[in-house]
Amino acid sequence: MMQANELLATDKPATTENKQPFVKGQVDVVVVGGGSAGWLTAAILAADHQTDPHVNISLIESASVPTIGVGEGTWPSMRATLARIGISETEFILSCDASFKQGSVFRQWRSSSPQDCYYHPFTPPVAANELDIADFWFSHHQQVEFAAAVSSQPAVIAAGLAPKRIATPEYAFLQNYGYHLNAAKFVALLSQHAKRLGVKHIVDDVVAVQSHTDGRVAALQTAEHGALTGDLFVDCSGLQSLLIGQHYQTPLVSVQNCLLNDSALAVQVPYDDERTPIASATLATAQSQGWVWDIGLPTRRGVGFVHHSGHTGEDQAVSTLAQYLQLSEQAFTARYQPRLIRFTPGYRQQFWRHNCVAVGMAAGFIEPLEASALVMVELSAKFISEQLPRSLAQQAVIAERFNQTFSYRWQQIVEFLKLHYVLSTRDDSDYWLAQRADNSIPSSLQEKLMMWQQFVPSRYDLPMAEELFPAASYQYILYGMRHLPSSERPIKASLGLRANQAFAEVQQKTQQLRAGLVSNRELLNQIKAHGLQKI
Amino acid sequence: MATIELLNNVDHLGVKILTERSLELGDNKMFCLSFPAEFRAAQAYYPVLFYKDGQSGQFMPVLLLGFQSGENLFLQQQGWQAGYVPLDILREPFTIGLQQGERVINIDTSHPRVNSASGEPLFLEFGGQTSYLQQVAAQLETLHHGVTDAKAFTQQLLALELIESFVLDVTLNNGQQHSLHGFYTINEPRLAQLSGEQLLQLQQAGYLEAIYMMLASQAQFARLIGFKNQLLASN
Repeated sequence: MMQANELLATDKPATTENKQPFVKGQVDVVVVGGGSAGWLTAAILAADHQTDPHVNISLIESASVPTIGVGEGTWPSMRATLARIGISETEFILSCDASFKQGSVFRQWRSSSPQDCYYHPFTPPVAANELDIADFWFSHHQQVEFAAAVSSQPAVIAAGLAPKRIATPEYAFLQNYGYHLNAAKFVALLSQHAKRLGVKHIVDDVVAVQSHTDGRVAALQTAEHGALTGDLFVDCSGLQSLLIGQHYQTPLVSVQNCLLNDSALAVQVPYDDERTPIASATLATAQSQGWVWDIGLPTRRGVGFVHHSGHTGEDQAVSTLAQYLQLSEQAFTARYQPRLIRFTPGYRQQFWRHNCVAVGMAAGFIEPLEASALVMVELSAKFISEQLPRSLAQQAVIAERFNQTFSYRWQQIVEFLKLHYVLSTRDDSDYWLAQRADNSIPSSLQEKLMMWQQFVPSRYDLPMAEELFPAASYQYILYGMRHLPSSERPIKASLGLRANQAFAEVQQKTQQLRAGLVSNRELLNQIKAHGLQKI
Repeated sequence: MATIELLNNVDHLGVKILTERSLELGDNKMFCLSFPAEFRAAQAYYPVLFYKDGQSGQFMPVLLLGFQSGENLFLQQQGWQAGYVPLDILREPFTIGLQQGERVINIDTSHPRVNSASGEPLFLEFGGQTSYLQQVAAQLETLHHGVTDAKAFTQQLLALELIESFVLDVTLNNGQQHSLHGFYTINEPRLAQLSGEQLLQLQQAGYLEAIYMMLASQAQFARLIGFKNQLLASN
């Protein structure tokens, strides 16, 4: 990442004439920033255009700015992304201290009762392309939780089992999964791999931005490598947002009126011994002033308390985290040096300006509930790579489409995260009352909640071809939070037979999986010993 | 459960091994291990395939003997119906063990072939090994080198992406349909695309012949299906 102060001090409006871009079909892409966003974007671009001699990718990062290194949870999409860029799953798991993540477990979100718990698994409900199984679950809702009725995955997670076996090929699964990983090691692997793919790596500080008269960035002036010219600049400079934020002065659309949280206090927690089970889902436990993430890697846990600085002071945050780890405050401070991360929840009004596009935290950041940070990087990088502009005219169209698509996606994240709060009945603090105050709920979500009094969340609510959160995710949260329709819809008797069959299939599959799967830790040990096969 | 002991002329002086082929004596196997040096002899009777071990996820070459767990179609009333019996079958009840870095012979004393009444003795009355035991030792030695070579063979084929999964759909004479899953074979289109350099590498390691032996062995599926039909007709 760059030195922000230096940049601002020397950033004179240096302009050059409008040199013809994309000369002879050449596309020089400059990625700014060497965190996970930068290296993931560079690797995807390099892998996709490996055989095209006209596309050159370089990445510049400052030696003096450390990466933030949060974002330790991925979606299942990461499997396809890693396969796409050509990293073997065995190598990834071993070098990034990765473990399998099969979804999220939400504890104490409905009420503060210690037993309160529901699952958002990555495997969609059974028979999803035949019928809406939720319709048939409503009459059983007192006997069985929605997720457990429609998917085997909650039982697999609860039993601490892995989502696949050692004989299952790389990236294939018995239950859908993503990963928990060590972010710093992930960056190191991506960097090594991107360089193998031909990405030119420059370690230097950007000291100024040179512009064309039409507003495009012509070059980045560096401290030691002169001017770095390019056709397209990808701003992965993190919260500094060097190009989109600082250079173009694109405003940040704050969403704090809707999602209060602006702080996280994070620690790394060692295991008692090397046989301690590794949870194969992110545990998200609500507190009276926020929520705690708990992520299990093979080597340690990552634990953090997400909260709102307006409701919670630093001391109170420390005591909440200490309490979660069942330590006295003295023992906690003696053992850990927690890291406080502050952010303004929000996203840029535009992400693509002229020939600059922001990816990762340079584009926006919202609390890590549902771990959407890395998937947004994957989606952005794929969009840029698949729609890599070859002329100025194309670039204008692509920029407009990118801005529309990603504004929608950020809005969807805001809406989906908000859903977790508004359905809570917790009233143990002003914080929870503020999180579900009427005027804090986006009107689009209010509309959907009104519809869901009668209808099951479906593609009619979520019409885009590539929705970030499909209807199934909304169902898992809505019905996990026990927000049932006020009246039952008439259902077809013929479908009822199929639904009962599907419920039975889930129970049968659960038994099979319980018998055939080893624990999350055991599978990771087997992978260490033998590796996974590619086929 | 197997009871593995280090073979020695004190504990096992009176041990005799039943050597006839029999389902009751542990030949009720759907497949057995194999290795490239055995492929030429084996492919005349058995389909030679890859199998992925459920405990380690590793591939290994195997000879297919039946279509379901416990079924060995080669073992019939008239005895073993092939001119060549695989080494992995012949070696029972012995395995190779390691003792201070040295290879030693282990015996599974709870194996049904092990008894004291009849069969081939292992040791001579006044010391020394019987010719049967010497033969077993030689077989185990061949098997040991074979399995090591099979691993290298498999690694090289995996690196060249020459292994692919396949499903065998069989319709038996009585109309029953069966699918054989979980086995792997040579990816022929990929084989056809190998460069001269890659082919030379395989040839020098002796694996090019092994690959074509595996392909040729596919003709033996017909033999296996024939055995299965006979079995159904006689029942």
